[in-house]
Order: sequence, then C-alpha cells, then structure tokens
Amino acid sequence: MTLARFSVIATIVIAIVSTLDRGGYLLVNTVVMGGMTALVAMGLALTLGVLNIPMFAHGEFFMIGTLVGYYVFTPISTYVSTHPESFLISWGPLITIAAAMLIGALAGVVTELLIFRQLRKRSRENWVMNAFLLTVGLSVVLINAHQLFFSADFKGIVGYYSGAPFNIMDVYISRDRGFAFVVAAVVVACFWYFMTYTRTGRAIRAVSQDETGALMVGIGLNGILLLTMSLSCALAAVAGAGLLFMYPSYPSVGLEPLYMAWFVVILAGLGNVLGAVMCSFMVALLKVLTIEYIGSGWDFVVPSILIILILIFKPSGIFGSEVRGVLDK
Amino acid sequence: MNNTTPIANPFDKFLNLLCFTPLGLFSLGVLVVLPLIPPFNQEYLIRWLISAAFIASLAIAFDFTAGLINIVNFGYCAIMGLGAYTSAVLAERFGLTPWLGMVAGGLVAGGMGMIIGMITLRLRGIFAACLAWFFGLALMGLAIKLVWLTRGPMGLRVDRLFDTQSNVPYYYLLLAMMTAIYIMCKWVTRTRMGVAFKAIGQNMEAARTSGINPVFYRLANFVLSCAIGGVLGGFYAHYYGILTPDMMHTSKTVEVLAVAYIGGRGSLWGGAAIAFPFIFGMELVRSSLSNLPGINLVLYGLLLILVMIYYPGGFAQFFDTYIRKPKSRILNYVLNGASQSAN
Repeated sequence: MTLARFSVIATIVIAIVSTLDRGGYLLVNTVVMGGMTALVAMGLALTLGVLNIPMFAHGEFFMIGTLVGYYVFTPISTYVSTHPESFLISWGPLITIAAAMLIGALAGVVTELLIFRQLRKRSRENWVMNAFLLTVGLSVVLINAHQLFFSADFKGIVGYYSGAPFNIMDVYISRDRGFAFVVAAVVVACFWYFMTYTRTGRAIRAVSQDETGALMVGIGLNGILLLTMSLSCALAAVAGAGLLFMYPSYPSVGLEPLYMAWFVVILAGLGNVLGAVMCSFMVALLKVLTIEYIGSGWDFVVPSILIILILIFKPSGIFGSEVRGVLDK
Repeated sequence: MNNTTPIANPFDKFLNLLCFTPLGLFSLGVLVVLPLIPPFNQEYLIRWLISAAFIASLAIAFDFTAGLINIVNFGYCAIMGLGAYTSAVLAERFGLTPWLGMVAGGLVAGGMGMIIGMITLRLRGIFAACLAWFFGLALMGLAIKLVWLTRGPMGLRVDRLFDTQSNVPYYYLLLAMMTAIYIMCKWVTRTRMGVAFKAIGQNMEAARTSGINPVFYRLANFVLSCAIGGVLGGFYAHYYGILTPDMMHTSKTVEVLAVAYIGGRGSLWGGAAIAFPFIFGMELVRSSLSNLPGINLVLYGLLLILVMIYYPGGFAQFFDTYIRKPKSRILNYVLNGASQSAN
C-alpha cells in the first residue's frame, strides 16, 4: 500500500472515529475549513508548479478577497435591510464572491505584469530564491498598504445568510458554512474540469511539466503564465470572500491561510495541484482535532511538528511531485 | 587569495587579521564615537543605534547561512527568541547571571540549529526554508502556550543587564558583539570550511563529488549561525527587559532577511553596512509621517522588491563593481586594504 493511499484512508477513518466520539460538528468544520484551504492551496501549488514561484504573498490575495467582500457586501446588506423583497437577498453573496474573484484575478494580472514579468526579463539564475524574496517584499507592501488605506480595524460582516441553521441528522450547520462549502466545492470542481479537459488547462499542465517542451509545441508561454497567476490569485480571493463571516478583514488576516496553504503544499508535494486538494482536508482535520482535543492555540504547534515528522521520512511529500524545476534549485 | 603580496606593515597585518579594510575600520570608529556627538547623544537616537546594530548583527549571522550555503533559515528569529527565553528563564528561575545566560542561550539555540540542520539535511532551497519556517512557527506557538514557563503573550519580565538608565553601555556591548561576530564569521569563511560552504551553496552534487561531506559542513554552518542568534537573543532579553512571543514572529525574520539581502548576499559586511542607514531611514519616515501608519513598511517592501528585480546582488555587489576599483592608489588602499583581497 502506498503512502498516499494509506494517508487518505487513515484520514477518513480518523475523521469518522472522532466524529463518532465528539459529534458531527467536527466533520462539518473539517469539511468547510478543508474546502476553503483547498482553494488557497491549489492556487499556491499552481504558482509553484507553473511559474516556479514559492509565493509568500498568497495570503495577501486572500486578504484582498476579504476586503472586496466587505466593501461589496456591506452596501448590499444595508440595501437589503430596507428592501427585503429584493433579489439581492439571495443573490447578494454570490455577487460578492464573483466580485472578489474578478478583483483577485485583476490583482494577479497586475502582479504578474508589474513584478514577476520584470524579474523574468532580467534574471534566470537563482530564480526560485529571488522570486521568493520578492514575494516576501510584496507581502509586506500589501499588508501595510491595507493598513495605510483602509486602517487596521476589523472589517467584518455578521453573516451572508440569516435564518435558522440546517439540521442534518442532529448536526446544526449554519447557512454561511453551508454556503462556503458549496462555493468551495463548485469552484474546485470547475477548476478540476478546466485543468483536465480543456485545451488551456492542458497547456498549463504542459508548462508545469516542461517549459521548453511546451514552447516547442507552440504554447504561448507569457499568456499561460499570466493566466495561471490571475487564476491562482482569484482562487485565493474567493476563499477570502467566502470565509468573510469567520475572518473579518484586517491587514494580516492572510497569514493564517498562508501558513495552512504552505503546510498543505509541502505535505502534498510541491506543485501537485490535485494532491493539494486531498491534503487540505488532512491538514484541516489535523487542525480541527488539535483544537478539539488539545485546545485552541496549539493548532500551529501540533500540525507543524507532525508535518515535519512526515517530511523527515518522505521529503518529496505524500503525493510526490512531478515538477522538477522547484526541486532542482 | 594566492596572488596577494606579502604584507610588511604591522598595521596592515593587524587589519588583515581582523578582516577589516581601512574604510571598514574607519566606519567602525565612526560608530564608536557616534553616541558622543551632539545629535546622536540623545537617548532615543541611541535606542535607534542599538536596534540598528542589533539588526546588523543578526543580518551578519543570517547571511552566514543564507549567503554562503544558500539556505534561507526562515525561522531565524524564532531561534533567536529561543535563546532569549532560555537566558531569561534561567535568570529569573535560577538566578543565573545574564552573562552566563547569554552563553546558555547561545548553546541551546545552537543545539536547536543542529536539529534543524539535521532535519533539512536532505532538502534543498525552498524546501529547507519551509521546514525551518514551520519549526519557527512551532517554537512561537510553544512560547505562546507554555504560559507557566514564558507567561505567554503577557510578557516575561527580565532584569536588565546593566544597572543604569542610560543605554550607552548596551550600545558599546552590542557593538563589540557585532564586531566579534563579524570577525568570527569572516575567519570561518577564510578557512577551508568557507570554501566548502561556498561550494555546497553553489552546487551540492559537484561539491559532494569533489569530496566535501555536506552533512558536516551544513550542520556546522547551522549550529554556528543559530548559536550567534541565541547569544543575540540573550542580549535582546536583557536589554528590553520584557519578552513577548511576538519577537519570534515571521515578520521579524523578514526584517532581518530584507536587510541581509539588500546589503548583499554572501558578503557578510553588506547587511551590517546597510542596517544603520536603513533603520535610521525607516525610523525617520515613521516618526515624521506618523499620520500614515505603515508607510515605512510599504517603502521597505518596495525597496526589497526593487532590489530583487534590478540588482539581486544588493549593495555589496554594487560597491564591489563600481566603487571598489578607483584609479588612485591611496583610495584603493583605503577601500581594499593592503592585501587586495576582497574582504
């Protein structure tokens, strides 16, 4: 039995056992958390695999998502409170998510054009390290620009959907959590379809496996890199907007999702996008279980130690990595 | 360094032994007299000087790993914090003098560096950086949660090192530490070991083929760099007098990293040279534009981005390329010393 198969089965078994032990909310938390982490981690894996950039600023696109969500949804909710019959009452959250996706994609395009393309023009040697340090700088800039222009207050919303929580087999799921999970599931499914079956998705995967080869068969590299960057930023922004009810917007809100996403990406194997989806649920389960059994605040200590232990024995990650570029440098 | 002419002048010999160029010695002299000259003898400016010297020392030790063997120790400030907490707890619980506490902090941090080095041994570049980072996160989490030992976010009160209100003795102590760290790191890079470090940093396979055992050298590098961090952490604890887990945060590592890389990777002196103007510039911007919170950090991130795009070698490379090759012989002596070796 391979490690990948074993870890998937172990995750499911542990999830079921702990759910039977403590109740269904554990499973719900894991699934919601895992879905959203998957969005951030997929984007991170994509930038690593395709652009060879170890993105440290990915959490800041999550932050942009929360910010857009706040500024789009607040007027909608005040409008809805005076016009309860409006169509916005059910469509408002979806519009918010779409807006966050759009702005996130735009932010990705701007980042790629203004920063990474400039770096790519100038240096190829030591690219991974330079790109990494650059994203560190980008992260500092974005966090503090948020503080500068939007102040450091918590900007949060009460929730996307009011109303009684769903009740499924004695487990109460608030409407927002259900909504967040549905958004995550739909986006992940669309993304998977896009990567697997469309021509552009195939081109992206081709670039991640062999850049020179992709150029030879006539794939426009610059366009693919731009598209990948905007896609991965849009994914992070969707996660930010989707979780706005849990994480209010403030300058360094992106750090926690960033840590989680890095855990996931390293654990899954650098640049392995589908492995990242699986590992997101593992990491989310680890985190939820740590909070449940050991206490909140330990949720960085225990998962990171476990991940370090796993990596000592399997340095290329659970699902392995097909991307050679990052490993070689 | 085989093509250097033998040095006759005892002063030059001494300089060469200390790895300083005349210009370097002169700038050190300026730093020594700076707290006595009027605009700098105010307490708040001395505090700026201390924080600049602190960042400079950390940047030297950080560059020892990042620049030479090309592995970014992204949990560096957590290691520094480990040294700080060790020293503080020993002083508070067992009444150990801070001086021994600093040494103990260095030992513990060096041990932790050994562990990190062993864990990251099989990994390269970004993988190793991430593992060191997770390690740092775990350490910070422990500092927050082990409240019985560290008092967590409430902060651990520590006795200060000297019994005065003035910050001047701290400054001189730190300056001496900085010089010692620089000389020590420089000495190591001059030996066979330094060559081995550079070989490993450039290409590990090639280094291994030519008979360098990467295990030993990488561990030695991590232990030395982390031990220096631990000693500096001990200084931090007994200078500020209060420790919070915040000092182990990734953003602090980013600060050191930015200074080290803007200064120039692999040069050791670049980070130290750039830290002083850099910290002063940041503090000036922050205090003069206090109605725009965060503007100094935006500038600092932008600077890091610009340096990485347009001049990845940093200040040291700029200096070596454009300033270090003057026509006049006297200037050449001042900039390069008698041995002509690029220190």
